[in-house]
Amino acid sequence: MGVGGGFVLIPLQVLWTGTPQRFANANSLVAIVPIAVAALPIYYFRKGSPQVDFHVALFLVIGSVVGAYAGARLLKLIPDRELKMLVAVVLGVLGLKELLFP
Amino acid sequence: MTWSDVLLIAGGLAAGFFSGTIGIGGGVLFVPTLTVGFRLSQAAAQGTSLLAIIPTAVVGGFTHLREGNVQVQPALWMGGGGLVGAVVGALVAVEVPGPLLARVWGAFLLLFGVRLGFQAVQAFRRPATRPS
Repeated sequence: MGVGGGFVLIPLQVLWTGTPQRFANANSLVAIVPIAVAALPIYYFRKGSPQVDFHVALFLVIGSVVGAYAGARLLKLIPDRELKMLVAVVLGVLGLKELLFP
Repeated sequence: MTWSDVLLIAGGLAAGFFSGTIGIGGGVLFVPTLTVGFRLSQAAAQGTSLLAIIPTAVVGGFTHLREGNVQVQPALWMGGGGLVGAVVGALVAVEVPGPLLARVWGAFLLLFGVRLGFQAVQAFRRPATRPS
């Protein structure tokens, strides 16, 4: 889907193995790295025209790297239940969106 | 550098921040930003998103490691399992671009969201527990 899989990994850890939300989120982000690395070449090489826009990716990454650092530093300050609610809301909204307007 | 580049950086910043806090690669935000905001095709948006996820997750993941937020062994197991799943998933998604796929995916997310929401509500009924 062009996503790293974090949205499956997080609920699996929390609901099945009872991992605290903070660890589940951080574990997920680490696990995403090999997943995205494996999926990328398939997107790039399978089709005739490149499916990756490098210009767009460059500027997107300039912002996202800074954002990711700030978000990761902030994580400890957010209590578990608030974090869980945030994840739940984001999951629910995205799920509804995909279900109704795929 | 054009205005659209500036907007890309801003979008990346927001997606990256979400990525760092809720532990996603940022792809769920990258893809709609690129298709709706920048008129990329779905396939191009997904491929570009996957590329952008890598540095985002590397920086976020490394920062989490230094912050002591990571349980290393489960993370490695998930990364390994996910890697296998990703290869299969990417092969399927390139061949079967479909609303069906998105709907199945959406149903899963909604289900997970509702269950996590219940857990959070239960937690709110108990006295607050600070993150350890």
